Amino acid sequence: MQASTSPKTYDVVIVGSGAGGGVAAHVLALAGAKVCMLEAGAWYDQAKQSDMFKWPYNAPHRAAGTRAKPFGYYDATLEGGWEVPGEPYTKARGTDFMWYRARMLGGRTNHYGRISLRMGPYDFKPYSRDGKGFDWPIAYEDLAPYYDKAEELIGVFGSAEGLENTPDGKFLPPPAPRGYERVIQRACQRLHIPCVPSRLAILTKAHNGRPPCHYCGECGRACAVNANFNSPGVHILPAMKTGNLEVRTGAMARAVVLGGDGRARGVSYVDKKDRSEQTVYGKVVVLAASCCETARILLNSKSSRAPDGVANSSGLVGRYLMDTVGSAVGGYLPILEDLPPQNEDGVGGMHLYMPWWNYQAQKDGKMPFARGYHIEIGGGRGMPGAGIFSGSERILGGGYGIELKRNLRKIYGANVYFAGRGEMIPNEKSYCEIDPNAVDQWGIPVLRFHFEWSQDEILQAKHMQETFQQIISTAGGKVLYSAGAETNWGISRGGEIIHEVGATRMGDNPKTSVLNQWCQAWDCKNLFVTDAAPFISNADKNPTLTITALGWRTSDYIADQMKKGNL
Amino acid sequence: MPGKSSPRVSRRTILQTIASAPIVATGASAQSPAKPPYQRKVFDAHQWQAVEVLCDLIIPADERSASASKAGVPEFIDDWLDFRAREEGTDLLTAEILGGLTWLDQEAVRLFGKDFAGAAAAQQTQILDRIAWPAKAAPEDRRWASFFNRFRDLTVSGFFSSQAGVADLPYLGNKAVAEWKGCDPAVWAILEKRLSGKG
Repeated sequence: MQASTSPKTYDVVIVGSGAGGGVAAHVLALAGAKVCMLEAGAWYDQAKQSDMFKWPYNAPHRAAGTRAKPFGYYDATLEGGWEVPGEPYTKARGTDFMWYRARMLGGRTNHYGRISLRMGPYDFKPYSRDGKGFDWPIAYEDLAPYYDKAEELIGVFGSAEGLENTPDGKFLPPPAPRGYERVIQRACQRLHIPCVPSRLAILTKAHNGRPPCHYCGECGRACAVNANFNSPGVHILPAMKTGNLEVRTGAMARAVVLGGDGRARGVSYVDKKDRSEQTVYGKVVVLAASCCETARILLNSKSSRAPDGVANSSGLVGRYLMDTVGSAVGGYLPILEDLPPQNEDGVGGMHLYMPWWNYQAQKDGKMPFARGYHIEIGGGRGMPGAGIFSGSERILGGGYGIELKRNLRKIYGANVYFAGRGEMIPNEKSYCEIDPNAVDQWGIPVLRFHFEWSQDEILQAKHMQETFQQIISTAGGKVLYSAGAETNWGISRGGEIIHEVGATRMGDNPKTSVLNQWCQAWDCKNLFVTDAAPFISNADKNPTLTITALGWRTSDYIADQMKKGNL
Repeated sequence: MPGKSSPRVSRRTILQTIASAPIVATGASAQSPAKPPYQRKVFDAHQWQAVEVLCDLIIPADERSASASKAGVPEFIDDWLDFRAREEGTDLLTAEILGGLTWLDQEAVRLFGKDFAGAAAAQQTQILDRIAWPAKAAPEDRRWASFFNRFRDLTVSGFFSSQAGVADLPYLGNKAVAEWKGCDPAVWAILEKRLSGKG
């Protein structure tokens, strides 16, 4: 191994090509900056590599999920998952945490759920509202124009509802609901739970030269025609067309390189194809390697100038790590039995959802936990794969033969499920740090996780369980699976929902935050973060849209400051 | 409405693009007709016979589709047990299935003097009737009712996720739809009737 150096200095070096790296590359390359992007995984061409329209019966084991491909054989995550060969992480004693990585161009944007919810005004000032957690250094009004821009670029469908703390956006028309969704909506009406069109980054009309959705329902396999949001198709390829963006794949970032003046000079990385050590130089460095990976890079950037890692004079890099609270209930609705067959694929996700509805009860102190959740729903005549009709005896009582075969046809499409996605309040016991005793296959020290839910999250999961069971019984159905006190109400494992945020928090005080309100490191003015690591809280709204809006705001600031010669 | 709809990209162009994309050509028709015979990984020849018989007792042929064994379900189950053992690092599932098959043989021998696959159809169903409805199973048969739940799940999911099963249900998706209209009005009319208590 011989260390070598690229002689060129770029305007901006970006680590990571997912939602955060993608938006930074897009905004900065279009603004005229010369950008070099490092991606640890391989190039990915969705037009050629998407498994759209393939059948489970043509895949091994009917396309069942595996440890290597947890979301199934056809999932777009080519190299990744909660376990990545050669890239371990460790957990402190008593911690249960799982860390999903997607090593490929576009990262997790290739397979994610496209759910695109704006954080609301309360979500930026949670401490002011209930005295828990922390306030953001910015308010909803600061980010609103960037939510507009993000939605206009990526394309999000939805409907104007005017609901509390659930801001409407620049929406494409929503797709009409499926039959089972309308049945669930009726039950929710009776319970006074809002059930409205969902908000997903999927095109229901041609948009910015991209075609509309063809409703095959499999966005998670990546869309060969680019009809949903994904970083390669929407951010990176258009940015490359400017001639201002160079992408280096197979580039595993090791550390931020500091100059003698304490400013970032570039990023050192391992070129996976020959394991050589490389450094790429830039006037500005943007980390968007994903929340925990960004923290890992900073913590591994140790030198005499930065003995605890770059941008870490506060000691807060890696701290206040959050995920989303998840809990699920499945049920069977007899009203859906034996209906005439129809194609219920639709878009790759729910057409209706339930935003949080108890803001006033919480304000009045009538709820046993702080912060809310939204409800995601599923069901219908889905594509048959491994596990279809599992546990049918719980609906049919058992049986075999011609009668069973006929009964199974009747119950096909009558199962529904509800998944809560709720806010976790940051706590001191949840963080990542460098494990002094372990390295990955590239010799890079790995992360060790600490993670704990508080009673606020556990009681929220309880509320989810009770609510979902109530919706099922109101719809005349039977609960098929649920969870009780012995499992903390089925609360997800840390990292399981794949919404890690908060490991390089922003703030208005260098002693209590890593970044300022522009996601610029207090300790290193030409170093920025555009993934979910700057988040101060983790509202129930899925992070990707906020990553995109916040990353856009940061990138505008970088472009402006470069123009003014301040960087 | 935000964004600009591009008139250059028509619905027709998209559907043509999709139709001409090579990814579509990977359906069953693209498979080689001279597929090599399946090599068993878990079941021996005797167990294989019992599995075929049991699969077809669970999913027999009817006017709409073939039986489970015709749809390749025994092969699916054999391969699935091997897969789960590798994935989970334990062959407990295989042990449960093989244990259940052994019990079926022992019961058939005890009652009828023949192994399960060799017993008459009425004799086979006489044994299944004891374990196919878990709530009705006698206490001493409950262990085997739980085996049968597992075996039924494997058979049923193997069958309905096969090409024959997909056509049987039928599942009508996994294709490009020119315009999404939501729930079919005829289906919604039925649902409305049921919702109002008149259906």
